[in-house]
Amino acid sequence: MKIALAGNPNSGKTTLYNAITGKQEHVGNWAGVTVDKKQARLKENFGKNVSVVDLPGAYSIRPFTSEESITRDFVKNEAPDVIINVVDGTNLNRSLFFTTQLLELGIPLIVALNKSDLAKAKTEINIGKLEDELKCKVVPTIALKGKGLKELIDNAIEVSNNKKQENVFSELSKYNNIEKQDKARFKIVNKIASNVEMKKVKSTDETLEDKVDKFVTNPIIGIGLFVLIMSFIFDLSINTLGAYIADFLVGIIEGFQGSLAEMMTNAGVSDFLNSLLTDGIIGGFGAVMGFLPLIMVLMFGLALIEDSGFMARIAMIFDPLFKKIGLSGKSIVPMIVGYGCGIPGIMASRTIKDEKQRRMTALLTPFVPCGAKVPIIALFTAAFFPNHGYLFALTYLVAFAVIILVGLLIKAITGADDVNNYFIVELPEYRIPSVKRAFMKMLETGKEFIMKAGTIIVACNTIVFIMASFSFRFTLVGDAVENSILANVASPFAILLIPVGIGVWQLAAAAITGFIAKEEVVGTLAVVYSMGAAINEDFELTNSLLLKENMGITAVAALAFMYFNLFTPPCFAAIGAMKAELKSSTWLRRGVMLQFGVGYTVAMIVYQVGTLIAYGRLGDGFMASVVILTAISIYLMKLINAGKKEKSLVLASEVA
Amino acid sequence: MKLSEGKKGVPYTIKSVNGNEEMNTFLFSLGCFEEEEILIVKKMRSNFIINIKDGRYGIDKQLASVIEVI
Repeated sequence: MKIALAGNPNSGKTTLYNAITGKQEHVGNWAGVTVDKKQARLKENFGKNVSVVDLPGAYSIRPFTSEESITRDFVKNEAPDVIINVVDGTNLNRSLFFTTQLLELGIPLIVALNKSDLAKAKTEINIGKLEDELKCKVVPTIALKGKGLKELIDNAIEVSNNKKQENVFSELSKYNNIEKQDKARFKIVNKIASNVEMKKVKSTDETLEDKVDKFVTNPIIGIGLFVLIMSFIFDLSINTLGAYIADFLVGIIEGFQGSLAEMMTNAGVSDFLNSLLTDGIIGGFGAVMGFLPLIMVLMFGLALIEDSGFMARIAMIFDPLFKKIGLSGKSIVPMIVGYGCGIPGIMASRTIKDEKQRRMTALLTPFVPCGAKVPIIALFTAAFFPNHGYLFALTYLVAFAVIILVGLLIKAITGADDVNNYFIVELPEYRIPSVKRAFMKMLETGKEFIMKAGTIIVACNTIVFIMASFSFRFTLVGDAVENSILANVASPFAILLIPVGIGVWQLAAAAITGFIAKEEVVGTLAVVYSMGAAINEDFELTNSLLLKENMGITAVAALAFMYFNLFTPPCFAAIGAMKAELKSSTWLRRGVMLQFGVGYTVAMIVYQVGTLIAYGRLGDGFMASVVILTAISIYLMKLINAGKKEKSLVLASEVA
Repeated sequence: MKLSEGKKGVPYTIKSVNGNEEMNTFLFSLGCFEEEEILIVKKMRSNFIINIKDGRYGIDKQLASVIEVI
């Protein structure tokens, strides 16, 4: 048996879904969190052999954005046995429009009157009357607190036995014009709503939320608040709480690593095997795992923001600014989600209607440093700038500046304009964020991270270690690592990185493995330099001196390496997500090229200019960097001019 | 007049919605179409907070200027 969850955006479908299936799908207090359908088994205590499908929210069966069409296609083509229509009790009138459309499909339907606690404060809904009007069962629920769910599912299973849903709105079928039909539909809906609802508060009255919004949606206060909250989360994650737990965790891992090495030495295990297991596998795994608490604390903070209702306001505040660079205010949502992981971030761009804005968002979101890049930032800022804790947060500001600049550049090239790009976002009610949900989300992230570190990262580290230990003739290279397979493979790439100040094969190898997973940049460094890496509560890197010495690069070059890894294309999985959202291999190619260009150029400028200022000398490959920069500038000017010509041609044809 | 020229806190009745077809259909599904009520909750330089049915929405000035109200 199959149950489908359908309803308006932000009505609580995914919260309900998580509660009845035990899953931990992404929830948030804004419209459009779910952009793809999700399927899972119902928990045994609710019913056996039942699968539940969570669908993206929609206001109407006629889709507006692509994720809304998923809902329509599913309910029309895949014939679920019963639809649970999740209705937002605080906006009954609007929600019922979709309900009446769903009722017409003939699939057995049951209404979950959700947020019934919030609704009670504003209005009184006569459930019996509503059931009479709709000719279907209505169950009040509070999905957030798990209330009414057992009754809902019992009823849904019972209703599914009815082969067909009674359609009380058959009179609507006499209209053959959809517009007229929908107008008549809203008339019916208005009538039903006024029959069943006794409003305690007029929706036009000024509420407490409106008073809060007066402040929050002020651009200066809003953006200030946003920066403050994000800085606080970063501080908590990197300087205090996260760092403290990280230190503890690394202590355990290093202790284990040490005693295992000792045990194997005593047992007479070969040096190579000992080193592979302790330095390669455990060392590399530990280096990455050390950053787990940082990422978990970051996700905890993000989940709280997502739960509060602040996201929609942020989208609204950022809209005027983002329009100037060819984005929509809604682009901020994928970017904030992208702080955690780029893949759901890129996918979240789906809620943006305009193609150009959506494409731009999918291309720019990977510039936001995701959770997997946190280890890179933490490692390099801590190792090379131990007394400059603010550099971590500053990196995110640099990322934002890069996004704005690249956005302006793409706009200049493609001539994306904002004509007919209307902006509208639903402002949900504020909510005190649930610490429990944020905690669960944090655990889920932690679980995923450990699984990734235990599989992909360990596999990569093992391969990197073996490649760094053997020559092409499969003889152990010992201390002459420059003869290893890894050195030979990575060296040609290292030459290309000379103008960036990081023309060392170890760093080139780290950057390359980063495309498999960005955590692996740190993993590879740990393996090739045989060091554990994590920061302690004083924001100092354990073994930082060792790392600095081993790398043998300047602080400026280290910064360049960090930016190179942050702004070149994301991992393969995220590139896959970009492909899915861009729906064009041409645009994917352009996007990846752009990201390579941006990463390389930013890192090169940082290195060359930084070296000149900080050390008063020219950096390595200075002349090459001048040539490369000139070539890039000429190429961009050509593109911009071509864009202008195209634009004037379009304009001319429009005038004609 | 255009909603963008309207005053805060005064309930208006929508006369027509003149965005592109897609936007009109979308606004329709929110309950924003002729003869329905609309209210400006907050007016800013480039944004508006409006009330349609029981929901609050943030919109840009461009969208506010294609909604004709009386």
